[in-house]
Amino acid sequence: MTSRNNIKIIAGAIVCHEAKLRGDVTIGAGTIMHPCAFVNAEAGPIIIGEKCLVEEQSKITHRVPFDRVEQKNVPVLIIGSNNVFEVGCNVEACRIGDNNIFESKCFVGNKVTVTNGCIIGAGCYITEEQVLPENTIIYGENCLQREALCGPGQQTLQMDTLSKMLPNYHRIRKPNLKS
Amino acid sequence: MPIYEGYGTITDKLTFIIDIGAAYTKIGFSAEFAPRAIVASEVRCKNTNQVRNIYDYKDKEDLYDLLVEFIHLLYFKYALISPKDRAVVIVESLLCPTLFRETLAKVLFYHYEVASLLVVPSHLVSLATLAIDTGLVLDIGYTEAVAIPICHGSPVLHAWQALPLGSQAIHSHVKTLLSADNTGIQNISESVLEDIKEDIKVRCCFVTKRERAEKLRSVSSDIAPCPSVVYPLGGTKSLNVSGKLREMMYEIFFDEDLDHLCISTMILNVIASVDVESRTLLAENIVLIGGTCMAPGFKARLKAELYRQLKNERYSKFKNIKTIKFHTPPAKENYTAWLGAAIYGATEIVSMKALSKDQYFKEKRLPDWWSNLKDVVRSI
Amino acid sequence: MAYIIEQEVVKYVCTCGLLKPISKLYFCRYCLEVRCGFCVCHEVDSHFCEKCLENMPSAEARLKKNRCGNCLICPSCLLHLSVRAATVGPKNPEDPKATPRKVVYLHCLMCRWSSRDVGIPDQIAATGGWPERENVYNVRLSEIIEWYKSVVLLEKQQKLEKDKKKQRKYMSFTDKTGLTAEMIRKRIGLTEPPNPLLKTKAKPLEGAIAKEDVEELPDNIFTQPIKLNEITTVQQRLLQPEWQPVTVDKLFPIHKHLSVKQSLRCRSCEHNVSKPEFNPNSVRFKIQLFAYYHIPEIRIVTVEPLRAGQPAELLLKFINPTQHQTVVTILDLSSMPELIQDDKCSADTSTDDELKPIEKEPLSLSLTQSASLLHTTLSRQPSFTIKPRQTKQQVGADIEIPAANFVLPPRDDAAEFDDSGENYNFNDDPRLVKWRKSNKAVIKLQITPSTDLNLGDQVVVGFVMQHIYTNTIATSVEKDKEPQKCQHKIRVFLSLGNLLGSSE
Repeated sequence: MTSRNNIKIIAGAIVCHEAKLRGDVTIGAGTIMHPCAFVNAEAGPIIIGEKCLVEEQSKITHRVPFDRVEQKNVPVLIIGSNNVFEVGCNVEACRIGDNNIFESKCFVGNKVTVTNGCIIGAGCYITEEQVLPENTIIYGENCLQREALCGPGQQTLQMDTLSKMLPNYHRIRKPNLKS
Repeated sequence: MPIYEGYGTITDKLTFIIDIGAAYTKIGFSAEFAPRAIVASEVRCKNTNQVRNIYDYKDKEDLYDLLVEFIHLLYFKYALISPKDRAVVIVESLLCPTLFRETLAKVLFYHYEVASLLVVPSHLVSLATLAIDTGLVLDIGYTEAVAIPICHGSPVLHAWQALPLGSQAIHSHVKTLLSADNTGIQNISESVLEDIKEDIKVRCCFVTKRERAEKLRSVSSDIAPCPSVVYPLGGTKSLNVSGKLREMMYEIFFDEDLDHLCISTMILNVIASVDVESRTLLAENIVLIGGTCMAPGFKARLKAELYRQLKNERYSKFKNIKTIKFHTPPAKENYTAWLGAAIYGATEIVSMKALSKDQYFKEKRLPDWWSNLKDVVRSI
Repeated sequence: MAYIIEQEVVKYVCTCGLLKPISKLYFCRYCLEVRCGFCVCHEVDSHFCEKCLENMPSAEARLKKNRCGNCLICPSCLLHLSVRAATVGPKNPEDPKATPRKVVYLHCLMCRWSSRDVGIPDQIAATGGWPERENVYNVRLSEIIEWYKSVVLLEKQQKLEKDKKKQRKYMSFTDKTGLTAEMIRKRIGLTEPPNPLLKTKAKPLEGAIAKEDVEELPDNIFTQPIKLNEITTVQQRLLQPEWQPVTVDKLFPIHKHLSVKQSLRCRSCEHNVSKPEFNPNSVRFKIQLFAYYHIPEIRIVTVEPLRAGQPAELLLKFINPTQHQTVVTILDLSSMPELIQDDKCSADTSTDDELKPIEKEPLSLSLTQSASLLHTTLSRQPSFTIKPRQTKQQVGADIEIPAANFVLPPRDDAAEFDDSGENYNFNDDPRLVKWRKSNKAVIKLQITPSTDLNLGDQVVVGFVMQHIYTNTIATSVEKDKEPQKCQHKIRVFLSLGNLLGSSE
């Protein structure tokens, strides 16, 4: 699995040097990636959209389920915009829409499709094959589900602060693509 | 009692009303319109850390300890009052085992030192919520369904009918039907399954119409059952709750057994065993209580079943019963009996009829409530 | 502090016959008896809200149905709701001068439920004013209650009247007072005041009318798939008994239920054994008579492998928690005969009598008690004590009772840090006392597990610990008086572990 890294960072993204990126990863404008975030495009390319926030020790992995490994053309893992990956989350979902929040230490298996506006609560462990309807909230020890009226608000303030602060204290990867 | 509880400032006596059901216990205070809390009738055993239902007692002493623990919870977690020297009203089914009621009285008088205790029969007090004095009360709870007619304020005891049909029967039925659709159900631990059975019943199931039930039962049914539901079980598993299960769950209530007994025939048998004059009156004053009656469509189905049974030859003597009428108490079914007791508790009956501490210590037992039936509160 | 969370290996027998570890026992200084949570009288001391930690007087708590006025919990997941501020556009967007308004709404941080989900309008003030719901049957139910009250009252009056008539036959003036207030009234020609409640009797109440129509199932239930996320769970329904909403759009925030601080009272002498401080922020107590502060604590140091029929050495550490020197004597279980006899007695009698309350002398209040205590006692009926239960613990080993006793010096907090070699001039029996330091001593006992035990059985050994308890209550009043000393006995059971193979 030691394919050559092919990292594409679109101008406007803030990707710390210490963030681990493996494989074919594209990072959209305005996305902030903290040090020690780990994006592993092990099975195929990962495209991260705009204005996502990937915090420390969160893992985004593109891993194909065992029963689909044989299939020829591996799909691209597309992650939409305005998603938040909180500290220590482990996301292997096969598709992620916009405006989702993955709270700390949650685990999302590779058979789960996350649409838009979903919140996976802290510590929730989801592996069952399913498509989460829009604005689904999963919370609590038993992964209870509920549906919100509207998706979570955007973290504009936090993103602004981070985009000012992070470059002051960390080495930032140079963007290699024009938006 | 602490001094700042304000002696004398509150003149209103606060009577604690407890309705200990087989699955849920309803507690609250007199003259209030809804219970303060509805809690599961179970306690966590301190030594083994297991949750035990208080009806799963081994012997007398075990029950005493369970009740001490449970009532402590009721007083200090939910009611937040000191039990000592206060009146208590207990709602009790007429079929409550003697051991249970005696032990409960013992716990309340000896351990909690309550001032007085009034035990009211659940069927009778339920009528108080409607301000009527005659009616046929059908209580479908967790373990059993009990029907008792009340005529002019006193229960007609010899006419009672009971069947082991309640949530418990439904729950075990859920499990059998679920295992048919879900192969992985064996891997789910019993305790988890216990919790979800009730949830599946309440959230997915309903009482279907008779015609549909008959069609669905036949092998070559021409109608499709209602859509099935995927019930998520944590984040890692899910159960398939089939449409047939959702619709047919409650059929066990209406399937006649070998003696032609089911919920509907039970009601008619009750009516048959009272005097002729009261029959029409009872048929037009049916009151449903108990949490299991809250299933969607239950009342409609029961009505249809009753009309259907009336056409049956066995009930041909009921020719003059033309209509079946149901009451709608001003409460949810699962706390109607509690509400009735709260109404009784608000009156002077508590001071007039309740068993006081001194009396109890003299007698050492609760009077059988029907032994002084004349004295027991008459409905108005 | 490991012994608090650890398995209960050392158990003391409470006066009521239950076995408890020392951390769960109380020691009543007035009766000089051990009490536990089971045999004391629990009382509600003060109400407070767990979230805002505000005290609430009990009258107010009663009025508010034991709920906090400010704090709300999430109807979906039961966690506390937080208030969130948001800005919304001005009321009329056309007006250029209008500034955006600040509004607040409720939000759950766990399941992200918000008051906007169910259409509760946003509020201007953060302190709330959230709309409250009323029971739809309020009017009808108050009518019914009034009606029942008046009818029962009438019945009561009639009964009184009847009794009066009966009484008249045997009327005597030999009562203590000779005259009742009622008779005086009659003599001076006043009529009886009409009871105000009786007036309501004038308005007869209509009984409810039964209907033939019942709620039918909606037709779409057979065809429409249901969304589980929109249907409430049983737990969510039962949280709001009055409404029991079926769908999630009917879930409304619930006021936080209050908690209470409890005080515990000895049932035989009516003194508090534990009384918390009033302030909800404080975890301290006004009165705390925990056994841990009064009775020597026993810990198991080591025990030799236990084999049936073979003697094994058991080392126990005794710790004196008090400020007074004590002498500990180990006695055989049978040295507390009065209790055992009692047990037998209750076992023999019929089952109904086993809980017979022990009659008690009415309290004689000494002047030493504070005024508040005096008042409290007046307002309450004296408790009665219940006969102790028989202790069911089986003993699986014999213990060789040492002939000698040993001294435990008082506890001295400073001694913990004193490394200088200490000289003890206690005449210790070297066969008994193996080690000692400040207020602690390790003693050696010889035990022999019974031959009846099977392999792997828990070996339990029991003895009576007799120690000298120095009562300090009297000294606080009369300075000169010597503290009163007394011998206190308590039964102790130790679970030593499982029985090993008999011998190799």
